[in-house]
Amino acid sequence: MKLEDQAFNLRDEGRVYLDHNATTPVASALIPQINKWLGAWGNPSSIHQSGRGPKALMREARRQISEALGVSQLELVFTSGGSESNNHVLRGAVEKELASEKPRKTLIISSVEHPAIRVTAESLAARYSLKLISIPVSRDGELDRDFYEKALSDDVFLVSIMAANNETGHIFPIQALAEKAHAVGASFHTDAVQALGKIPVSLKEWDVDLASFSGHKFYALKGSGLLYTKKGVNLPSLIEGGAQERHRRAGTENALAIASLGYMATQLEFLSERMSQMTELRDSMESQILEKISGVQITGPQGLRLPSTSSMNIEGIDGETLLMNLDIEGFSVSTGAACSSGNPEPSPVLLAMGFSRAEAQRSLRVGLGWGNTQGDIDSFVTCLEKVVTRVRGLSGGSDG
Amino acid sequence: MARVLVAMSGGVDSSVAAALLKEQGHEVIGVTMQVWDYTQDECNVEEGSGTCCSSIDVDDARAVADHLDIPFYVMNCETEFKAKVIDNFVDTYLKGDTPIPCVNCNTYLKFDHLIKKMEELNCDYIATGHYAQVIDGQIYTSSDDWKDQTYFLFTLQPELLGRILFPVGDWKKPELRKYAEEKGLPVFNKKDSVGICFIGKKGYQGFIEEHADPAKLKPGVIRHIETGEEIARHTGVHRFTIGQRKGVGIATGDAAYVIKIEPQTGTVYVGSEKHLMSSEAYVRDINNLDNIHDGETLTVKIRYSHRGSEAKVVTAAGGLKKLEFTEPQRAVTTGQAAVFYRGSQLVGGGWITQCPN
Repeated sequence: MKLEDQAFNLRDEGRVYLDHNATTPVASALIPQINKWLGAWGNPSSIHQSGRGPKALMREARRQISEALGVSQLELVFTSGGSESNNHVLRGAVEKELASEKPRKTLIISSVEHPAIRVTAESLAARYSLKLISIPVSRDGELDRDFYEKALSDDVFLVSIMAANNETGHIFPIQALAEKAHAVGASFHTDAVQALGKIPVSLKEWDVDLASFSGHKFYALKGSGLLYTKKGVNLPSLIEGGAQERHRRAGTENALAIASLGYMATQLEFLSERMSQMTELRDSMESQILEKISGVQITGPQGLRLPSTSSMNIEGIDGETLLMNLDIEGFSVSTGAACSSGNPEPSPVLLAMGFSRAEAQRSLRVGLGWGNTQGDIDSFVTCLEKVVTRVRGLSGGSDG
Repeated sequence: MARVLVAMSGGVDSSVAAALLKEQGHEVIGVTMQVWDYTQDECNVEEGSGTCCSSIDVDDARAVADHLDIPFYVMNCETEFKAKVIDNFVDTYLKGDTPIPCVNCNTYLKFDHLIKKMEELNCDYIATGHYAQVIDGQIYTSSDDWKDQTYFLFTLQPELLGRILFPVGDWKKPELRKYAEEKGLPVFNKKDSVGICFIGKKGYQGFIEEHADPAKLKPGVIRHIETGEEIARHTGVHRFTIGQRKGVGIATGDAAYVIKIEPQTGTVYVGSEKHLMSSEAYVRDINNLDNIHDGETLTVKIRYSHRGSEAKVVTAAGGLKKLEFTEPQRAVTTGQAAVFYRGSQLVGGGWITQCPN
């Protein structure tokens, strides 16, 4: 199937969806497949014939993903999503380390990890008296490599650093970071949830031991996730009580969602076209915004970023007000991370990068996806300009 | 057709307000202010208990908005609520007064913070589920006397009146519930909210003890108002309100009521009921909504549940107004609002304060 044959008509009726870092629409090409797969409702573990259909779906998905990612099928563990994969890694690694003869006690993460890493690591560190080191990230989105190298020691058992940041889109040099970790005998995990479908994920080149992925950030169904575990890396299962996934993840498999993830993996064939399309749209959007609206700062524009993600700070208007206005006008965008909505605290990622609370509260995140068009971008910029001008014109504005 | 921002609490009144506006063809946007994070306190609020700021209520408001198919947002107002409502509530009790946080919530949250949001979202009006009516730019009491909430609205700024809608102000509660049921609003049979929304099972005393600066919780003495004799000790003036009988903690033969609270010394004076009667009161921070003239006799409500009494409103020293009641009033309580009516029209009000010396 060619790129142009793919029906990724990912549009809400009358809306423009620009929040693909929160979740993606289900690829429309998947829908007839899903209807068909619903017939395979059996338990993949069953010995009788009803189990064969779903078992075959999983086998096919595992094959598709292993081919797309260039890894062995045995290195793939299906999970329910990114948060589970991340918890699996941290909890499993801590449990395994503490059971060893001379356990190492230091865990390294970056200061801008998703809460599934940051919060889990903090609670494990507190519970087991581990040393947790957070590597700073600058306003430009650069990880402090010197700090990292100094933090590494023979007491570090695991480093977990994301491949790309969910809020600003900044990409970290995973291959180089993993190499340094391995040099001190530490394992290396990357939360690659935001990388999949946006940049090439080269697990073998990166030489990571573990990597987390999520289906619903990649046009597949929610409830599907993936954990890559390099051959020889054996972590205890997070969920016990069954032999599924070769004893690495108990529980009856979500074959339907897994099949959708497998299908999407085949679409990585067209990744470079998708990347150029998204880069073009993102660059067009940013240059139009900077040209038409004063007082806008793109977050770390010089840093290496995902082609799809743009985080910006708009003076004189808080992110919440902007989001509501844009929503009413038919545009779905985000301020801070989706997981933090309803939370009064500004984005911890932006705070960690050295932005003030006020700056963080004025942040807007645009997450482009495979289905967006130049028309979406043009109408978005027009609407944004209109809203910003109007709100700035109100007495006092809404500067958060 | 106008664009209207509706403050939705998750209760039946504001839900019907939103439904009515939608039915009238307006473009309705629902918003709920998340004002107090119950996860910080142990959440003892039971489902359907009808308080106005638990997260269950946010879910209810959202369910109504979904049912009406209108945009809906939750605004986190915890910081403003803490600063303008909670802190004031605690401080007022510590000063020996008895606060009404609902007025400050209206003044600083609904009709300030939300007014700003109304403008930012390009709305023409803001609507709430209050039982009150705006007619020709003036506020009148609700058609439902039992439900009337104008008492909580006396601080409204007159220039805002043209932009505020009270869609249920001319409804009576039973009809309103019936309408909610007919429209299939998921909250049609939800209990009415009673009391103060952020006070859980621990009661207001427990709340204050948890949230006040411990240094400010000072024990003191209970004295008899006539003899000055010390009859007991207490753990803090916040545990008392004027007119209170229960919990005064004295085993005397006669019924003892709290007559006076002296915050400077932490002294609480008790005595017989006759000492509770006052023929005058002083009021500060007057909001004059419609040309109250000096010496005018108005109907004055000195607490929400008060049915109103005649009083002459006279200018006093220090920017205060003095109320001269036609009939002496029982338990005039500092910290409560004195709200003025000309017939059924709300014309203003102020805060009951100590007699200037």
